[in-house]
Amino acid sequence: MPPEARSTSPHVNHRSQDSTTVPALELIGLSKSFSGKTVLSGVSLHVAPGEVHVLLGQNGSGKSTLIKILSGFHTPDPGGEVLIGGEPLTPGSSTASHRVGCRFVHQDLGLIEQETVLDNLAIGRGYATRFGTIRPSVTLDRAKSMLARVGLEIDPLQNLSHLSDAQRTGVAVARALDSEGGEVPALLVLDEPTATLPADEVQHLLSMLRTTAAAGVGIVYVTHHLDEVFQIADRVSVLRDGHLVRTVPIAEIDRAGLVHLLLGAELENAPSVDQVLTAADPTPQAPRLVVRDLVSSALHGVSFAANAGDVVGIHGLTGSGRESILASVFGAIPRDSGEVLLDGRPIVADNPRKAIRDGLCYLPNDRSVRGAMMDLSARENFTLPSLKQYWGGLRLKRSQEISDGDDWFARLDVRPRDGLDRPLASFSGGNQQKILLAKWLRLEPRVLLLDEPTQGVDIGAKIEIHKQILAAAEAGAAVVVSTTDEDELVAICSQVLVIRDGRPVAVLRGEQISPARLNRALHEPAAAHRGGLDSS
Amino acid sequence: MKRTFNLGLDRFSGLYLGAAFVIIFGVWSPGTFLTMDTVHVIASQQAVAGIVALAVLIPMVAGQFDLSVGFTANLCGLIAVLLQNDYGIPVPLAIVLAVVTGAMIGALNGLIVVKLGVNSFIATLGMGSVILAVQAIVTKSETPLPVSSQFFGKLTQQPVLGFQIVIVYLMVLAVLVWWILSFTPAGRYMYATGSNSLAARLSGVQTDKWTWLSLISSASLAGFAGVLYVSLTGPSLSFNQTLLLPSFAAVFLGSTQLKPGRFNVWGTLIAIFVLAIGVQGLQLVSGIQWVQDMFNGVALIVAVSLSLKRKRGLGKSKRAASGAELPDEVLQEPGTAPVP
Repeated sequence: MPPEARSTSPHVNHRSQDSTTVPALELIGLSKSFSGKTVLSGVSLHVAPGEVHVLLGQNGSGKSTLIKILSGFHTPDPGGEVLIGGEPLTPGSSTASHRVGCRFVHQDLGLIEQETVLDNLAIGRGYATRFGTIRPSVTLDRAKSMLARVGLEIDPLQNLSHLSDAQRTGVAVARALDSEGGEVPALLVLDEPTATLPADEVQHLLSMLRTTAAAGVGIVYVTHHLDEVFQIADRVSVLRDGHLVRTVPIAEIDRAGLVHLLLGAELENAPSVDQVLTAADPTPQAPRLVVRDLVSSALHGVSFAANAGDVVGIHGLTGSGRESILASVFGAIPRDSGEVLLDGRPIVADNPRKAIRDGLCYLPNDRSVRGAMMDLSARENFTLPSLKQYWGGLRLKRSQEISDGDDWFARLDVRPRDGLDRPLASFSGGNQQKILLAKWLRLEPRVLLLDEPTQGVDIGAKIEIHKQILAAAEAGAAVVVSTTDEDELVAICSQVLVIRDGRPVAVLRGEQISPARLNRALHEPAAAHRGGLDSS
Repeated sequence: MKRTFNLGLDRFSGLYLGAAFVIIFGVWSPGTFLTMDTVHVIASQQAVAGIVALAVLIPMVAGQFDLSVGFTANLCGLIAVLLQNDYGIPVPLAIVLAVVTGAMIGALNGLIVVKLGVNSFIATLGMGSVILAVQAIVTKSETPLPVSSQFFGKLTQQPVLGFQIVIVYLMVLAVLVWWILSFTPAGRYMYATGSNSLAARLSGVQTDKWTWLSLISSASLAGFAGVLYVSLTGPSLSFNQTLLLPSFAAVFLGSTQLKPGRFNVWGTLIAIFVLAIGVQGLQLVSGIQWVQDMFNGVALIVAVSLSLKRKRGLGKSKRAASGAELPDEVLQEPGTAPVP
C-alpha cells in the first residue's frame, strides 16, 4: 500500500516522543505470568494520539493477555507500568480502565440485533432525558454526531439488522468512543475486527478507523491479516512468545520482513504454499469419508476426503469458515448444498442419530454448550449414545456401564478415577474432554470428527488425547481434526487442509506440515487471500 | 462410589422437616393432630396431589413445564362423570376415555412446544385457559351430579388397612415412574434432553420425541388423577386450582432431596407429604383457612430458590473446571475435586 493512502491520518512523529505529546498508551516493562509460566515478558511500547498501531502475533504470543491487562481483566506482574494518556492504569479493574480512557471493540460486538442504531448507541451512556422522559431529538442529534466521528453516514433510526457487517463494527466503535464529557477517549483497542468481515467490507472499516484516528484517538489494532497491516498501520509491533520482537514504522518494513518477525527464523526455507498445492497428489482408493462441495452460510465449497487410518487436519483462522466445517459434515447444522459420503453412502444433514448409527461421531468444540450434559454424571454422558446395549430387558445394566466406564477411565487416565458417578461439571476441563472423547471412541466409529479437541485442556490431557486419536486412526477410523493449534496439527495429522474465506486454499502433507508452513498458508499475499483462490 | 455415613442433613432435610412438623404439632395439639385420622386424611388428600406432582415431574425432567396439569385433571375428571351420567357409559370405559382425552391434550401441548417452538411455559399456560373454556362448554358451567354407580366411588374409597385405596394407586404409579426415569433408556434420554437438549441431540437422542412423550405422559397422568379426584370427593368445577401449586412446589423441593440437583420421584413424594403435614398441622392448631395458600406459595418460592442455589454452585465449579486461569492440576488432584 503506497504511503499516500495513509496520508488522511495525521502524521505523527513517532521518533521524537517528548513532553509536547502525551502518548495515548505507554507500556513500560510489562510482564505477566500464570502460575510460574511467563506469557508476557518486559514489553515496552507506546502509541501516540492519532496513531494506528497494529499488534501482530501468533496464537499464544501474549497478544490477548496484553489486551486483557489493558481492559483490567488481568493484573500484570509487579514492576511494569501502564500509562493511558499519561495516567497510570489501576490494574485489575475494568471500571478504572474505562475511566482513564481505554475503549475496546471485540470480535463479538455486543450489539443488539433487533434494535435500532440509535438504541444501540444509547445503551452505553443512556438516553438524553428530561424529567425521566426520553428526549428524542437530543438523543438523535447525539447519535448522529457519534456516527459522524467514525465517518459512518447511516440513519440512526435504521434497524441494526439492515446494516452491513462493517457498518455494525462502525456502530460498535462509535459507541465505544462515546464519553461523558464529549472529549474522545485516549485509546481504542480493536481485537480482530475483520475476522468475520467479508473482504469487500474490510476497506470500509479501515477508512472509518482512519477517520477515528484523525480525531486524536490512539488505536491499537490486533489482526492476523497481514495485508490490512499495510493499509492501516502507522507502526506495527510484533509479539512472539511473550516478547516484543520489534516495533517498526510501516514504511520501513515489507511483508517478507513482517512474516520473518512473526515466525522467527524457521520460515526461511519453507516452500511457498503454491508449490505445495501442485505437489503430487497420491490418489487414494475409495476413501472412508468424502466431502464434496459443501456450501453453507460460512462455507463456499469445501471438498476433501479422508482414508481409514488417516488423521486429516483442518486449519484456518477464526472467521475463515473452519469452525463450521465439521458440524456441517456431521449434520449438526444445515447444509445449503454439497454431499457427505461415508464409504460411498450419503450422510443426510440434520439427523445426528442416523449419522451416529452410520458410524460418524462428532465432538463439538464447546463442551458446555453443545458437547455435554454438565449436570449429569460422567457415566450418563459416557453411555448416552449407545444406551440400548446396556438394556437388560427390565432395567439398564448399571454394573456393566460401570465396568465399561472404569475401563475407559483407566485407558484415558481420567482423574479422579472413581468419579464415574460425579456430575461432569465437577471434573477439570481436560478430564471432561477425555470422558467425551471416550464416549465416542467406545463406539469404534468409522469416522471421528473432532472440533478443537484439546482446547482449554492442560498439557498432560492434551498428550493423552493425541495418543487416543492416533490409536483410533490405527484401529481403522478416519479422523478429521479441526483446530487452530498448529502444534496439534504437526503432532497428529498426516494431511492438513488450510481454509480461508470458506474455501480450502492449501493442502499440506506429511513432512510439509510444520508450524512455519501452516502459518505461511494463513498469511499468504492479498491476491490469494481476499481474492479467492478457486482451486481446492 | 463409597459414601461415609452421615446424617445427610441436605439430602434428607425433607424427612427431618417432616419429623419436626410431627413433633411440633404433636406437642402443640396432641389430641387432634397425633391421630390415625390425621394420617388417613393426609394420605387420601395427597394421593391425587401426588399423582399430579408425578405428572409435573416427568416433563420437568425433560426440561419442560406443564402448567396445564390442573386444568387437564379437572376437565378429564368431569368428562368421566358426564360420560357416565349422560351417556350411561360403563365405569372402566369412561375412565379410559377420560385418560385418552388427557393424552390428546398432552399431544397438543407437544405439538405446540416441539413443532411450533413455543416455550412450554407459555404453551401450557395458554392451553390451561383453553381447557378451562372447553370445560365450560362441555359442562355448560353447571357442576354435574355425583355418579350414581357405587363402584365409581369405591374405586378410590375402598378401605385398605385403614387407608383409602387411592393411596395405593399413587404408590404403584410412583414405582412405575421411578422405574421409567431411573432404570430405562427412556428416562436417561429425558434427563439428557432436560440437561442440555443441544448436546443430547448431537449424541443421537431424539430430543423432540422425548419432549413430546413427556408432555403426553404428563397430561395422561393428570387426566387419571382428575378421575380419581371426582371419584374421591365428587364432581367440582374448580379443583384445578388446588392441584397445580402444591405439585410444582413438591417437584422443585423434591429436586433438593435424595439426589440433590435432579428432579426425582421419591424426593417429590417426600416433599408433597411434608408440605401436607405442615399445612394440616397449621390448620388444626390455628383453624385458619388461608394457611394452605400461604404455605404452598412460600414453599414453591423457597423450593425453587434452593434448587437454583444448587445449580449456581454447580455452575461455579463448571467455570472453575474449564477456566483458563485455574491450572488443571489443582482440580485433578483426587479428593480435591468438588464432591457432588
